[in-house]
Amino acid sequence: MKYNSRRGSLGKYKAIGGWIFVAPALFYFALFSFYPIINAFYTSTLQKDILSLQPPKFIGLENYVYLFRSEDFWKSAEATAVFTLGCFIPLATVSLLLAVFIYSRSKPFQNFLQMAYFSPAILSTVAAAVVWLLVFDPRGLANQWVNFIANTPGIDHKWLALSHMVRFSTVIIYFWKYIGYFTIIYFAGLSNIPRTYYEAAKVDGASSWTQFWSITLPLVKPTIVLVSIIAMIQCMRTFSTQYLFTESGAATEPINVITLNIYRTAMRDRYIGRASAMSIVLFFIILIFSWLQLKVSKTEKISYI
Amino acid sequence: MKRIFVFFVLVLIISGVFMFASENKGEAQKITLLYWTFEDPTLTRLEERFIQEFQNKYPDVTIKRSTYPSGENIEQKVLIAFAVGEGPDIINLEMRASFPYVIYGRLAPIDPEAVGYKSQEEIYNDYLEGTLNVATHEGKLYGLPEQLGSYNLLLNKKYFREAGLDPEKDYPKTWEEMLEVAEKITIREGEIIMRRAFDFRYPQYLISWLPMVQQLGGSFLSKDASRCVINSEAGLRVMQYMAEWGPNGHNFGSPTYVNARKNFNKDDGSIAMCLTGLYQTARLKVENPAFYESREWMFVPYPRFADAVSDNGCNYYSHFFMVNAEKPDYNQKSAWRFIGYMTEHPEEYMAESALIQPRKSLMKSDVFNKYPYADLFIQEIAKSYPVIHHMNALKFEELMKEAIQSVMLTGVDPKEALQRLEQKANEVILGG
Repeated sequence: MKYNSRRGSLGKYKAIGGWIFVAPALFYFALFSFYPIINAFYTSTLQKDILSLQPPKFIGLENYVYLFRSEDFWKSAEATAVFTLGCFIPLATVSLLLAVFIYSRSKPFQNFLQMAYFSPAILSTVAAAVVWLLVFDPRGLANQWVNFIANTPGIDHKWLALSHMVRFSTVIIYFWKYIGYFTIIYFAGLSNIPRTYYEAAKVDGASSWTQFWSITLPLVKPTIVLVSIIAMIQCMRTFSTQYLFTESGAATEPINVITLNIYRTAMRDRYIGRASAMSIVLFFIILIFSWLQLKVSKTEKISYI
Repeated sequence: MKRIFVFFVLVLIISGVFMFASENKGEAQKITLLYWTFEDPTLTRLEERFIQEFQNKYPDVTIKRSTYPSGENIEQKVLIAFAVGEGPDIINLEMRASFPYVIYGRLAPIDPEAVGYKSQEEIYNDYLEGTLNVATHEGKLYGLPEQLGSYNLLLNKKYFREAGLDPEKDYPKTWEEMLEVAEKITIREGEIIMRRAFDFRYPQYLISWLPMVQQLGGSFLSKDASRCVINSEAGLRVMQYMAEWGPNGHNFGSPTYVNARKNFNKDDGSIAMCLTGLYQTARLKVENPAFYESREWMFVPYPRFADAVSDNGCNYYSHFFMVNAEKPDYNQKSAWRFIGYMTEHPEEYMAESALIQPRKSLMKSDVFNKYPYADLFIQEIAKSYPVIHHMNALKFEELMKEAIQSVMLTGVDPKEALQRLEQKANEVILGG
């Protein structure tokens, strides 16, 4: 009995200690994430012009009703979906292959490749988009390279003009920028797989392909889930590239993603209530898809020990 | 004990009163005014000097001048600042963007005495007729103009001659001639344009595109501004013109190429004509003095359609110095004083930055009358319409951008694009 109460008080101390350590993070989350979400939800029920000094009018869910009837919003949802699918699937798969490739190299080469692939991630998205805008200019490098490779001199591939090309261009930038970031995450996941598994497999005569399918892929699955969720969230929240592209004359409609629509609705049209409603919808879309991904990929823990 | 407590309370109260009084005194004596304006390298030296002179005259006032890129950038900075109640004391913004601020009471009506006049009436008498109307709401004036502007065609004579044209005679007077001239000047490598003859001022559709529609008798809004009427024969013809101009038509230009005005000053062979304001001459002088001195450039009027029913040029716009209505009275008064001081020097704005402040005295001055092409701009403005001032003017411009881009870039039928533009604009007007 005495022992139990001691254990109880120790547990209590541990719990208090835990709370103390977690409190700053909880406070930070509550202030900078949870409060804005609640506030955005509240604002989404208002009809409010951000310049007006009049008290906002409570309109319930009217902003949501408007959105679901709005052709513009659905087009934005489509642009976001196309971008996300076009970007996060290649990101999640190619970065895994790259990580496996880097992992199989010698140590100095590994370090160099990691640094090389990661470097675009350090660059700000705005700076990256500005550089790529020059590449996609009709007289820029993109046309020159493609025309050189395909031997089609003088062809303008209209990187910023045609609907599918402008979408493709934004995907290229995002892919280029984040491929290294996800490669590094996979690399960390791969580093946790004991080398002995591969050695044992080699002794058993397993080919590289079999090793990849039977050892690497199952054991790196938690990292795959993590990367695919982060990549999907990043892609759904894409903004700067599309913003800079449309500011520079690219066709707006194909890349008018939800975040861009939110920004324009709030900052140009001044409808802060409607913009908040859009951000809440986007929040739930991201939440649902993240949950779905977790649910689908949830299987029993794999261990070869 | 009780006495000591009372003594301490009294000391606290008295010191509090003194502190409050001295703070208030300090507020009245020393203030800092925030002045936000757009980036113009030719203006910085001039306005910094005005600030210094004003501060010498009023040592209790400090002015902090901040500049932002013109267009959407400064408009959004100002919007966010006002939305959170942190707007600057003075803004210099295009009236098209600042109209909602006036309607929502975020800007202060002018203080005639502080800007150096006896009455509001006297201010109107000092400026060219009608030029202050855009900043007048319900009988009150909300600012003084920093500039009155419009665009005309700026052309590079060398590229005309290289194409076998005489720039003095063969410059395009009509939009139909523009297509012919463009065919002669444009240099392509396959489909890729290496030299554009001309290209539109793409983001500025209300200023530079709508006048084409107006020349053919159309307009964007009905006379009572209650609905959009762009879906007209005039609108359709201009939309078709844009489709013809773009990469899927004659391939003379596109919004995806670098802004024509930006490249013009470089004289690098990439552009022969662009639409721009008189201010470009002052910037040209700074950015490429050799080209400026060569006089291989000239302004010619904004083209008309051959069968135009209205002889209007480009729509004219105005930038106004305005004051934040939420600032304390003393700040507002000082802000108006500073604006009054700056606008006392229209000749210097003209000489240094080629900005026209539409004061009658400037029109009579040698500086204005001898300034190259200043007369052309004033003549064109006299024939033209002011840019639309509406609560949703910027939204209208965005919708125009979407429609024109869809026609030029993604091959949408001009008729369909025009219908959608009108429908969307009407939804906006109805508060949708």
